[in-house]
Amino acid sequence: MAEVYKDEESKLMDHDFDGIKELDNPPPPWIMWVLYFTIAWSVVYMLVYHVFKVADLQDAEYANEMASVVQNAGNANTNVVAMTEEEMLAAGEKLFADKTCITCHGPVGEGNAIGPNLTDNAWIHGGSKEAIFNVIKNGVPEKGMTPYKDQITDQNIESLVVYIQKKLVGSNPPNGKAAQGDSIVN
Amino acid sequence: MEQQTFYYDNKIVRLFLNATLLWGVVAFLYGLLLALQLAFPVFNLGMEYSTFGRIRPIHTNAAIFAFVGNAIFAGAYYSMQRVLKTRMFSDLLSKINFWGWQLIIVLAALTLTLGMTTSKEYAELEWPIDILIAIVWVVFGWNMFGTIYKRRVKHIYVAIWFYIASFVAVAVLHIVNSLEVPVTLFKSYSVFAGVQDGLVQWWYGHNAVAFFLTTPFLGLMYYFLPKAANRPVFSYKLSIIHFWTLVFLYIWAGPHHLLYSSLPDWAQTLGVVFSVMLIAPSWGGMLNGLLTLRGVWDKVRENPILKFMAVAVTAYGMSTLEGPMLSLKSVNAISHFTDWTIAHVHIGAMGWNGFLTFGMAYWLIPRMYDTKLYSIKLANFHFWLGTLGILFYAIPLYWAAFTQTLMWKEFNADGMLAYPNFLETVTQIMPMYYTRIVGGTLFLLGMVVMLYNLIKTAYSGKFIAEEMASAPAREVISSSRVAGETVHSWLERRPTPFYILIALAVLVGGIVEIVPMIAIKSNVATIATVTPYTPLELQGRDVYISEGCVNCHSQLVRPFRSETERYGEYSKAGETVYDHPFLFGSRRIGPDLARTGVVGGKMYKNATWHYNHLQNPQALNAQSNMPPYPWLIESDVDVSLTEAKVRAMMSLGVPYTEDEAKMANDLYMNQANLITASLKESGINVEPTKKIVALIAYLHRLGKDITMSKQADGTTTNADSNTDKTAQQ
Repeated sequence: MAEVYKDEESKLMDHDFDGIKELDNPPPPWIMWVLYFTIAWSVVYMLVYHVFKVADLQDAEYANEMASVVQNAGNANTNVVAMTEEEMLAAGEKLFADKTCITCHGPVGEGNAIGPNLTDNAWIHGGSKEAIFNVIKNGVPEKGMTPYKDQITDQNIESLVVYIQKKLVGSNPPNGKAAQGDSIVN
Repeated sequence: MEQQTFYYDNKIVRLFLNATLLWGVVAFLYGLLLALQLAFPVFNLGMEYSTFGRIRPIHTNAAIFAFVGNAIFAGAYYSMQRVLKTRMFSDLLSKINFWGWQLIIVLAALTLTLGMTTSKEYAELEWPIDILIAIVWVVFGWNMFGTIYKRRVKHIYVAIWFYIASFVAVAVLHIVNSLEVPVTLFKSYSVFAGVQDGLVQWWYGHNAVAFFLTTPFLGLMYYFLPKAANRPVFSYKLSIIHFWTLVFLYIWAGPHHLLYSSLPDWAQTLGVVFSVMLIAPSWGGMLNGLLTLRGVWDKVRENPILKFMAVAVTAYGMSTLEGPMLSLKSVNAISHFTDWTIAHVHIGAMGWNGFLTFGMAYWLIPRMYDTKLYSIKLANFHFWLGTLGILFYAIPLYWAAFTQTLMWKEFNADGMLAYPNFLETVTQIMPMYYTRIVGGTLFLLGMVVMLYNLIKTAYSGKFIAEEMASAPAREVISSSRVAGETVHSWLERRPTPFYILIALAVLVGGIVEIVPMIAIKSNVATIATVTPYTPLELQGRDVYISEGCVNCHSQLVRPFRSETERYGEYSKAGETVYDHPFLFGSRRIGPDLARTGVVGGKMYKNATWHYNHLQNPQALNAQSNMPPYPWLIESDVDVSLTEAKVRAMMSLGVPYTEDEAKMANDLYMNQANLITASLKESGINVEPTKKIVALIAYLHRLGKDITMSKQADGTTTNADSNTDKTAQQ
């Protein structure tokens, strides 16, 4: 039989379930207040969002978020700082690894099953500075080259192009993929 | 009054308890394997049968239905007989319940290993097993109701209320969510599609937590905690209030799993507010448990059984406060798709379900063997191993969740994503994944210590298979209320009206949410350019389902700048109208895949990339924790089923023409040949019938339709959604 304290005896109910007794205590008042408060909160929540419509639902929330970005940003390609060629090469080398160029073009630009060799002088989409810049920026979607305009600033793309043209081209790494493309740059 | 003598059936309790412990070890082992796989892909063991996508549902199903399920039956069969003062209604039904349930578990493990899955979380089992579950569940209910009707006590104790509610709710949830059209014996398609399927699934999924992991365990708590503490239950009134509010409110909360999805706003709002209203009813249960321990906290310090129970109830309180917090849209925006959810459910599963089960087992075995626990010291040791296990598991995951979500959302000064490469955000949380392995190991170790202790205990005693008891017969009184009787007290001795009321309380929420969602067209605005999957894509989708890709990859872009910048346009309801089943996913261990077919989008990769990546992800990204899938190159799609699959979809209203069905395999081969030709250009030779070709076709379809609608429409901004226009037409 359950242990019952002196002050509880008056609250002991005549329930007995396999020796389990129950007390006639009221629920702690605060938990009832939590219940009432959450119900009231819920009513207010529904009124705010669906009856008076004073707060934004998700589509409007998104539109606002995007609108505020357009106002605040849009300067992605204007923060240009002067860089020496050395600095550009260093930045380009880091970007080449960090931005997963290596996934499709190999760790030293030698090319793999996915992407072409960047170390030879054959180019599928043109080997000029402008052409390479454009391929990185806007991609070649149908071939699987991702457009990087939302991930890499113009200045950083320039560093990448410098790195590719000055460091990769002509480096003649082992396991280089066969040349592709007919745009030969000498 | 004359005492009647009868015998409690302890054999069935012991069977269920043994199964609980056995499947517990299995569930924990599988959990540990998953933790290892996430940190070290080599633990995928190079086989499709042991790869994360297949192991994850085995772990969740084993933990929920095998470990917790058997614990529910063990505790319910023990307590029900005693609080109703009678043997179970039918020994035969008890046995069918036991062996049927174990058969289901074995079949589940086999079919999931073989990749036979519906992909709906905690409802992955295919239709023949679903039917078996329904039958065994009804056997359990039948046995329970029979026992209630032949009881010797006048009133039904609160523990039984919770068992009844669990039975009714799980039966309804399981049947509705398992409505599917069979293609073969082990392949079916959900009758619901897209966001409607999502709503039904999460109505089920959330309430599997509610009515399988929570209410039956509250029933167990109401029996074993006052028994172990030898104290009266703190408040009968609180029992009544929290029982009814809990069973009525819980069923509504499912949509909180789909916040910021393409589910209509009104349904999301219901999910939010009903989750918040659940705080007090849940805490009512915790309070009634903890306050029952009032005055015996000195005993809690010494008695490991009470320690387990006190922590279990506290863990219940913590996770039921955390749940409503996670249901607030602003919190969910941060937590969803991260490890926060994983940590949250493990506080519930390891703390509440695990610890209450452990306490119950330590209490039951000595009693059924008429002996004393072999070692209190070892039980205390288990308690500390378990507690540390939970902490080492959960805390790193909370940390991982915050780290990853902040990285996902961070923009740099140029207005670009600071971590556009998803993999960076995975690499960053690897240390937390290592720590999680320690937590899981400690928890498993504790279980092993308990097994040793319990086996030693059993050997020191003698099992009482038939436990003699005596009680007077139930007195016959008027079926209407007698003088001085409260309505609830009357209800407690009138089981039939009680069942009906419980069923009503449980059904309301589901009906109010699901019926309009299915019946009212405007809830899912159609998009003109969205067409059914081609036969090849359909088969590819089934490869995706079978390999469990959905366990790591979501297909749901939420309307946040950080997501539309990373993935592309946010997901619309009209996109998924042909998705039987939906594949939104619930955790992004890898990136979202809803836009992998948008050529020129951020997620598009060419066929060669996918081929190489699926074959060996680490060759492309050394730090990736994605498992390799080389067998997709080796094994063939069963093209003999292509037409049957198209026809099954037609029977669900997917608008394929008769010709498309007849020529399904011709269409299949035409499209597959285009992909193999493009692979060939990169020097890859692969047969068009291989699984990888179908999967690539599917990945190249995702999100394609909505881009076409944008082009047709001439609109360029994301915010200007086509769905709104079509909705008004």
